[in-house]
Amino acid sequence: MKRDCGEITLDGRDIDGLSLRDSALMMSVVTQHNYYNFDFKVEEVVMMGRTPHKRTMEMDNEEDRLIVEDALSKVNMLDLRDRSFSSLSGGEQQRIILARALAQQTPCLVLDEPTNHLDVKYQLEVLDIVKSIGCTALCALHDLNLAAQYCDRIYIMQNGRIVENGTPEDIITEEMISRIYGVKASVERHPGTGKLNIVYYPKYGRVTDPRPE
Amino acid sequence: MELGKISTFGLCIGLIAVMVVLACASVFIGAVSIPFDYVVRILINKITFGYVGDLSGIPDYMVSIVWRLYAPRVLLGLIVGAGLAMVGVVMQAMVQNPLADPYILGISSGASIGATFAILMGASVLAGTMFSSFGIQFFAFVGALGSSAFVFILSAVGGRITTTKLVLSGVIISCICSAISNLIVYLEPDAEGMRSLTFWLMGSLSTQDFGAAIQCGIFVLIGLVFFSTQMRNLNAMMLGDSTATTLGVDLNRLRKIYIVLTSVIIAIIVCNCGVIGFVGLIIPHIARGLVGTNHWKLFPVSILIGAIFMMLADIAARSMASSEIPIGIITSLCGAPVFAYIMLKKSYGFGGGEGSRWTSTCPACPSPCRRSASSRGPISMWTRASSSDFSGPTARVSPLS
Repeated sequence: MKRDCGEITLDGRDIDGLSLRDSALMMSVVTQHNYYNFDFKVEEVVMMGRTPHKRTMEMDNEEDRLIVEDALSKVNMLDLRDRSFSSLSGGEQQRIILARALAQQTPCLVLDEPTNHLDVKYQLEVLDIVKSIGCTALCALHDLNLAAQYCDRIYIMQNGRIVENGTPEDIITEEMISRIYGVKASVERHPGTGKLNIVYYPKYGRVTDPRPE
Repeated sequence: MELGKISTFGLCIGLIAVMVVLACASVFIGAVSIPFDYVVRILINKITFGYVGDLSGIPDYMVSIVWRLYAPRVLLGLIVGAGLAMVGVVMQAMVQNPLADPYILGISSGASIGATFAILMGASVLAGTMFSSFGIQFFAFVGALGSSAFVFILSAVGGRITTTKLVLSGVIISCICSAISNLIVYLEPDAEGMRSLTFWLMGSLSTQDFGAAIQCGIFVLIGLVFFSTQMRNLNAMMLGDSTATTLGVDLNRLRKIYIVLTSVIIAIIVCNCGVIGFVGLIIPHIARGLVGTNHWKLFPVSILIGAIFMMLADIAARSMASSEIPIGIITSLCGAPVFAYIMLKKSYGFGGGEGSRWTSTCPACPSPCRRSASSRGPISMWTRASSSDFSGPTARVSPLS
């Protein structure tokens, strides 16, 4: 896919000038749909993350195995390393894909809706893991609450353009939600987490706004 | 992990041993009147160019039966089996579909057009021209390469080559080719030609010398050397286009190389032995059942099993009836039930399964999930039209211009 305008740089280098392999060494991607026609073992899927680091004929060595083991233990999936990938639940699969991205050992991690299709428990778990790694993470999310909770910086896109960008506190306001999404909501700081908490008001049903309009 | 490695290695050694024994047995079963120890002695002596053992006491006619009649045939079977299995493994990885086989790119149908043309028209049209000596083989080869080129061009129209487009183009070209073949057959009701055509379309390993085996052997060997450097890429390809791209594998370039090389190998095999179906399809599946999907293990094991399977099929073809049965019939008869079993086992997706990349819908949108830049308001750092169009880290992070 070609970009429409502007330029994309990775560490100051234009991304068009990078070979696929070079970009794979700088940036790993957790994709959204991970359905394979063929069945791999969990460990093999994670081992694929080492692909850009290896020369054509190079075998997997002890170091790669240690990296894979480390990645699997970071996502708490070391016990399932010999299972077949397709036998795992959606949340487990997503964590394995995340482990593969970790095994790629890149300074930047891109996640395309990593929480899609996942139960709340796994949504939090996946994002907690990402947060704990400490590398630069670029993440597409639909859920404003998750975004407010985990992101340091948020970019809001509308019609293919960035319309807002800044910290969650700056960006997520009742005004923005009604302007961009056309939804009435209340935004408050949650006393427990210290993060913003967004509650949406449905059009139907009774909603009493405790505060004056 | 270590254990798996050793056992795969052991499996390969075992398969090689089986292969050698079967090769001798196959020669022996062909030439029943010759004692087994003679057969082994002749083979050892001839293979080592006369340095090991001697042929004293063995009648000359036995030597020529073994070495001229049966040895080339067994060698050809071995090479063709290995070649078909190898191409099957590569094709299945390349189009990420367990239904793929060496003939899916329309290669066999193209070859059959060439052969039909040569057999039924050839006698009158080609007599006296330079083509008459090449005959069927030449036209089959041209047909095979031509049709795979068509498939390739068709699937490349309008941008990048995708799995679905490759498979569909193969189906389209196959339809056209078989219609034309049928037309030629219909217009030319020549009983003798029909019989030789049928035999050729169903595959046969019959050969008079080592020429065919050497021809196939050279190309299969080239393929073997090249593809053994591609294990990592083949593995990554299996994970789908977008994932392979994010792992730094240049799919578009590799696919082109793979298609050209596999087409040439198949064309050579088809023009020497006719169409031998199902081998390239089922052998990789059987090997996957034994060692899994990882190509480091799958590739060597598939090739060995392919060679063994082909020799077994050849033995069956020669010994089941008084005259030889086309080997393609044997391979299809064995292949279809195995394939049914694989399908019922459900450990494979066939491209239409739940969560398949082509049809998937997410709960949020009622239609196939094609989130685009124009959809309102997701906090989306990038968008994509579909996963197959996604070419890596070209995120749509446009400045606020």
